Amino acid sequence: MDESQQVQRALQLIANLSIDKASQVLSKSIKVGAKIELENVYVADISKATEAIMVSDEGDVVGAYVDLVGDMPFKFLFYVAAEDSLTLTDLMLRKELGTTKKFDIYVTSTVQELGNILASAVTNVFASDFQIKMRPSPPKVVHDYASTVFGEYIMEAAADLNEILMIESQFRVVRMNIKCRMFLLPTGDTQKTLASIVAAA
Amino acid sequence: MALGQEVAVGMADIKVGKESQILTTVLGSCVGLCLYSPSHKVGGLLHLMMPSAGMNMANPDLKKAKYADTGVADLVRMIKASFGVQSSDLVAKMFGGAKVLQGVERNIGAENIEAVKALLRANAIPVKASCVGGERGYRIKFNLETGRVICQIFGNQPEEF
Amino acid sequence: MPKRIITVDDAPIIRLMIKDVLTECGGYDVIAECSNGREAVEKYKELKPDLLTMDIVMPEMDGIQALEEILKYDPAAKVVMVTAIDQRDALMKAIRLGATDYIVKPFEADRVMSAVQKALGDLK
Repeated sequence: MDESQQVQRALQLIANLSIDKASQVLSKSIKVGAKIELENVYVADISKATEAIMVSDEGDVVGAYVDLVGDMPFKFLFYVAAEDSLTLTDLMLRKELGTTKKFDIYVTSTVQELGNILASAVTNVFASDFQIKMRPSPPKVVHDYASTVFGEYIMEAAADLNEILMIESQFRVVRMNIKCRMFLLPTGDTQKTLASIVAAA
Repeated sequence: MALGQEVAVGMADIKVGKESQILTTVLGSCVGLCLYSPSHKVGGLLHLMMPSAGMNMANPDLKKAKYADTGVADLVRMIKASFGVQSSDLVAKMFGGAKVLQGVERNIGAENIEAVKALLRANAIPVKASCVGGERGYRIKFNLETGRVICQIFGNQPEEF
Repeated sequence: MPKRIITVDDAPIIRLMIKDVLTECGGYDVIAECSNGREAVEKYKELKPDLLTMDIVMPEMDGIQALEEILKYDPAAKVVMVTAIDQRDALMKAIRLGATDYIVKPFEADRVMSAVQKALGDLK
């Protein structure tokens, strides 16, 4: 197995544990089960990946960006369809569904806080399962087209690369047909660090 | 090809086409440059990310469409190669270059806008329309039958350019 | 006389959730809300609340630094840290510095109440 395949395998293991933990804390936060629908580690061509989102017409989303800083930096993104963020706000506040009707600071901060909690769950996996110290930065929230949100997310990593290694997952909130998407993107020297950890193992 | 067929252009990509096609893309800090020949009804859309290739210029694997300096040249070259149209026949419309993420020091969107304007001046390609800047994403549809672009900034009504 | 509380978190939804819990319980007034540590220090000095709830990860000034400054100003200050699951290093530091208690996000209403009541000596 060559080095890049080993790195991908290591990322797959990180993905399995992180996504599992993230779905648990998401369920706990909104008090409704969140099923993992997708879990994938892949190399994405930046043009094709962004084109696919444009074509899928995901519409408006609210997204939270978190930088995971530490021994192995990652960029984290959590987003949900804008309409569904209203429902998530009702769930977070334990209010009757349909109560939140407009996009206000509570709606954007719901996604902000879910991003914070999920990103922290991921860094918890790094710490407890891999002894890698990381911490999340304060989240930045954007309400915009899905393609715009995703494009800004990969911008830094895509500056010097045509293809980027990515962890992608999707959760479905049961009984409500709400899809939430979560991405992890290794940045900086993370791939090199992973390769040396795998080589030493 | 079906009338009005929409073709999406992803980040760091160029697509050229002719009448009956509609090139579409979604932008944030990236700039979407539409070049069009009204006489030939052909054109292309460049979705660029950064103002300059810089040190990456020497890299043979470079995606030229990623950068304004290499991408604009490539777009002009592709239109000429595909349709035999010279740059003197072309007009430009540009969109995007927003600062979507707040609390970030660098304003790549603004840099992209300035880079594209300078390159169009240097190539003597007139800018017929420009809708750039702000803090929200752009969705554009470039009609190669008419040369018109429908642009919708997030949260606003669509406008025709 | 209701106890006076300041909530500190960069997420308005968290401040609202804590406020809702305290309001429902009764006997507590949220007299101010802050979105970062710098505001928290200023408001503490201005209003001298009975207790603060303090997020850790915030822009401008984080909760640990704010806690340090508040305790320097008033060593008897009661501060309950509010932290997401993996901020345990920061949390341990906060406890060593003198934070009264902590709540882990996502939190339940009764956990918020027991931390606040215990800190203020209101637990029967």
